[in-house]
Amino acid sequence: MKALEVKTLTKRYGSARGVEDLSFEIEKGEIFGYLGPNGSGKTTTIRCLMGLLRPTSGECCILGRRVVPGKATEHNHIGYLPGEFRAWPGLTPRKLLRLLARLGNGDQIDKRQEELAERLDLDLDRKMRALSKGNRQKVGIIYAFQHQPDVLILDEPTIGLDPLIRQIVLDLIREIAQAGATILLSSHDLSEVAAVCGRAAILREGHLVELAPISKIAQQGQRRIKIWFVEGTQVPELLEDQLPDVRIIQQNTNTLHISYQGTVDALLKWLAQFPVDRIATTETSLEEAFIHYYQKEAGHER
Amino acid sequence: MNANGRSPFPWSLLRFWTLRILPAWFLIALVIFLFQLAICGIVHDNERVKALIQYIDMLPAFLKTFIGGEAVRYGNIAGLIAIGYQDPLILLLYMLFAVGVPTALLAGEVQRGTMELILSRQTTKTHVYICAGLITVVGMYALVLVMFLGTVVSTNLYQFEQQVPLYNFFKLAINGGILASAVGGIALLAAACFRRGMAVSLTVAFLVVNYFIMIITQWWPRMKWLDPVTIFNYVDGAKIFMKPTWPVSDMCVLISLLVVSTMLGSVVWWRRDLPL
Repeated sequence: MKALEVKTLTKRYGSARGVEDLSFEIEKGEIFGYLGPNGSGKTTTIRCLMGLLRPTSGECCILGRRVVPGKATEHNHIGYLPGEFRAWPGLTPRKLLRLLARLGNGDQIDKRQEELAERLDLDLDRKMRALSKGNRQKVGIIYAFQHQPDVLILDEPTIGLDPLIRQIVLDLIREIAQAGATILLSSHDLSEVAAVCGRAAILREGHLVELAPISKIAQQGQRRIKIWFVEGTQVPELLEDQLPDVRIIQQNTNTLHISYQGTVDALLKWLAQFPVDRIATTETSLEEAFIHYYQKEAGHER
Repeated sequence: MNANGRSPFPWSLLRFWTLRILPAWFLIALVIFLFQLAICGIVHDNERVKALIQYIDMLPAFLKTFIGGEAVRYGNIAGLIAIGYQDPLILLLYMLFAVGVPTALLAGEVQRGTMELILSRQTTKTHVYICAGLITVVGMYALVLVMFLGTVVSTNLYQFEQQVPLYNFFKLAINGGILASAVGGIALLAAACFRRGMAVSLTVAFLVVNYFIMIITQWWPRMKWLDPVTIFNYVDGAKIFMKPTWPVSDMCVLISLLVVSTMLGSVVWWRRDLPL
């Protein structure tokens, strides 16, 4: 049994697009990254999984049960952090968390709540209206984690948090995954996805454009290479018909900084004709891979 | 989720919402209660009654009709006390509660973003709707009982020359409660469909239209055929006081309006997406 399943999910808002024909599955105990630019449909997918939105077609399953919109399917096993955590301003975090816990099976959360508040350095007794954005987000994180759920759905969990607290949140995610929980982590921050997720899906304009291990996604970007030619040698002209996947980033008197796609074989064979002093390659970052996916889909790729 | 696969009823949400509404309810209840004491305080004194009737005679005909019409005359103690049940201020307070509560609890929570938190727990949309409906209707009837209690307390505080027909006042209060609940049902329907501002506007517009229809039918006998169209037609104080029986047909119309609007609201609420 998969922990989370999304089967040919389509959600439209009138004529506007939400998500289109999405399908993916998440194994139990997996930390799954869910990436995409603003408006790509990440939150729409998450709200369909939570039963807050009614899909136009397709379905979602959580822990083997089909999600029925509005019926709180398996919500006692889910920890959820919405993209924008908004609460009643007159309540203290302690009262808010207790109220939300009592709306489920969270009668014994007090100890866990204190422990999480201590780790995140949060005062549970100041009113919500008096808290900064980052501290409100911490309350949201405690809310999602406090009842030790089997499935965690986190929409931009580290937004507004300082780097130290972000690291603590990532640690919490790792710990709960080690304990057997499944995590769907929606984020803009690719470094945090790379830090904790094994696999990720990339969404663009409501369509799934990639579903692969993070290591594979990272390989998809444009790779870069810098070549120093021997002193006094003129930098050779790059012929587009010979090297169609190569693009010049910067050219100086005896250096050439280029990006390429696919294998480096053709480029090395072309370079062998010239007196090369040295070459240096740089690791493709996940950000570059990410941009690559968007450009590719937008038709900007060379 | 309990053994039979159903989510348990969210009593803690009901309690939380009740506590949030309580200060406003208490304030409205206090004004209604004090108003009954004040009216009875005036009515038990003949000199003050004369002054009150002179004042009422100066009011426009439609307002005079609205607060009791011909029943408001010297010597008719029950008709004079009933001013406290039909005064525009009292009606306004009831309508404030009937419109404000469901729109604050449904549309308000959706707009604030807190509905997403409520529904992310083990709470179904139906449960949320039932909680809002219960607080509206129970709160309304509690206000009605406070109003009646005001009359009961007043009749013990002051000496009246005639016996005060408390049973008739009880009937009038219950009918008023049903009228206000029907308005609450309309407000629930509006809150299930629209954002808070729109829901309040539509419900108030519904009330204003009904009110003006009532005024037109009172002023212009040729428009009397419009009487059944206005909800205010179904709480007729004079009829309640004259007849010993309950106005069952009028009550049925108002209860039907309450049931239909509430059921329709629940269907819309169930099918509706939360706004992103």
